Amino acid sequence: MFHWKKLGQIFDPGMFGNQHYLKEFSQSPSALEFSDYVRVYFCARPARTPDGQYESHVAFVDLEKSNLTKILRISDHIVFPLGEYGTFDEFGTHPISVIRHEDEIRIYYCGISRCESVPYNTSLGVAISHDNGDTFTRIGKGPILSHSLDEPMIQGSPRIRHYNGKWYLWYIAGKEWVKTETRLEPVYKLRMAWSDNGIDWTKHGQDLLPDKLGIHECHASPDVTYHNGIYHMFFSYRGIHNYKSKTGGYQIGYARSTDLFHWHRNDVMAGITTSDSGWDADMVSYPHILRLNDKTYLFYQGNGMGQTGFGLAELTNPEIWGE
Amino acid sequence: MKWQKLGKIFTPTDYRFPNNCHEFAQSPQALVLDDRIRIYFSIREKDASGKYLSHIAFVDYDKTMQHVLKTSDHQVIPLGALGTFDEHGIFPINPVRDGNRILAYTTGWNRRVSVSVDTSIGLAISHDNGHSFQKLGNGPVMTASLREPFLVADAFVSIINNTYHMWYIYGSHWKKFDEHSQPDRVYKIAYAHSPDGINWQRDGVAIIPDRIDADECQALPTIFHRNNKFHMYFCYRHAFGFRHQSSHAYRIGYAWSDDMKHWHRDDDLAGIDISPDGWDAQMQCYPHVFEVEGTIYMLYNGNEFGRYGFGLAKLEDCDN
Repeated sequence: MFHWKKLGQIFDPGMFGNQHYLKEFSQSPSALEFSDYVRVYFCARPARTPDGQYESHVAFVDLEKSNLTKILRISDHIVFPLGEYGTFDEFGTHPISVIRHEDEIRIYYCGISRCESVPYNTSLGVAISHDNGDTFTRIGKGPILSHSLDEPMIQGSPRIRHYNGKWYLWYIAGKEWVKTETRLEPVYKLRMAWSDNGIDWTKHGQDLLPDKLGIHECHASPDVTYHNGIYHMFFSYRGIHNYKSKTGGYQIGYARSTDLFHWHRNDVMAGITTSDSGWDADMVSYPHILRLNDKTYLFYQGNGMGQTGFGLAELTNPEIWGE
Repeated sequence: MKWQKLGKIFTPTDYRFPNNCHEFAQSPQALVLDDRIRIYFSIREKDASGKYLSHIAFVDYDKTMQHVLKTSDHQVIPLGALGTFDEHGIFPINPVRDGNRILAYTTGWNRRVSVSVDTSIGLAISHDNGHSFQKLGNGPVMTASLREPFLVADAFVSIINNTYHMWYIYGSHWKKFDEHSQPDRVYKIAYAHSPDGINWQRDGVAIIPDRIDADECQALPTIFHRNNKFHMYFCYRHAFGFRHQSSHAYRIGYAWSDDMKHWHRDDDLAGIDISPDGWDAQMQCYPHVFEVEGTIYMLYNGNEFGRYGFGLAKLEDCDN
């Protein structure tokens, strides 16, 4: 079992209400090491638009390398705009996954469009930075990964990795919309795809994880990290009822693989759960691993799926990577 | 090319169809069977909100195309489940014989909030000579991609030397032409190919040059081979004012090719145009060319996008 020492909430959106793009929520932290700091890209929501809905933008915060709980600066801008009228990312860019590749930085993101019969649909897009991560440009108006025969809706929650010269993308794929007592809820599962260039993808076409909470269990944020011949995945999961509260809220699960394709789920291993009180007492979700100077950190969201921002934990038994 | 118009041959309101469908018989497309010609089209019901849902129906003609044998009285392909690409209509389908089965490439419609709709291309298969079709999945086989951001639709598929060739359209942009109007969509004809009819290769490049301007809308390509050339008919219109101004409404365009990839547009050779008066005097759209025992026919819609049915023309001369 992984043992984590919680370092607390490190970014509270309420403290940065003077940013035009940020009023509530800072979600999907995705960290990237720079020479002098660690930059964490995240998804921010400004105040609701007049129709009562949220949009979601990507911004960043820079953390001190020797003390990741210390914020050096927050971006005064979003790093790329929402998509134009009628495109897949017109109403939001969330969640995200950031990767450095040669002299560019890429953000893989979930673009959100709004529908009439259901609240939304999503597909995955890519934006690239050539100015060391300050601003990004989408590489096309459309998505790089979208609906297909057995993935009829909702491609989201991307995690991009580059292993052995190939690109790998873990993501969620929607199965169906289910009517609960109060609203429509999508059911989605973890899937993966691979690519030679990170743009043209071949889908694997299988759900990666067995369900634990029944057929309506939803999986998200499949954060994969490699160590000593093993691929480790931290992810979040929940049911479709009361998941915005402690009762049914997100938890963090774990799976491992030796070949990237076959995953053995063993949630007990994850070793991180809700606190007794405070910003992450109701739920923990959206795990993201950062390895820095022989240390392993876990970024994650707390209550309200990131309404209270994100926090950090540090691995206290690093020898577990070798087991 | 020279076409002889045979007039409007089908009026949907003369028949009864399931799902309270009444008006419109759009984008007629033919499947040639041993003893009949089955013509699929999209017919509309109004849902509780007053918006339209397009359903697929068919009418069978004898091989002279003179007599109606029957019309469909069942759901040929069901609409999609909640939140899927073809939840709010299927329009059109392209039937393609593939060995013992019939493929139907569908265009599924789903309603959006900012723009009115998006579309994707689906695939359904029939094992009963096109009486009914089962979808291969709840999702599409072709949808928006990097260079084709929305409105992927209007597939026309030919199987030649074990390769599946598809001509289709994709949305290029939405544009606001009038401060009092919502933006209008612009779409272009493109090409894709596939080894199995399911996995498609495409590059999102428009293959037919514009005639009107960069905002020209091109739709429903149909291709046939004659005199060692490939011939494409399609329809095109202005992006704005196309519903009520005949001068901006759909017309039938034409292009030819030696290799199916490079096309030479020459609408003057089309050999068919709107009539001085009558059912196809304001517009002509959704052409579909097919062959019966050596005769080449074109099905198409006229005024109001086919609200009152479709007509037929016969190729008399193909000297291009």
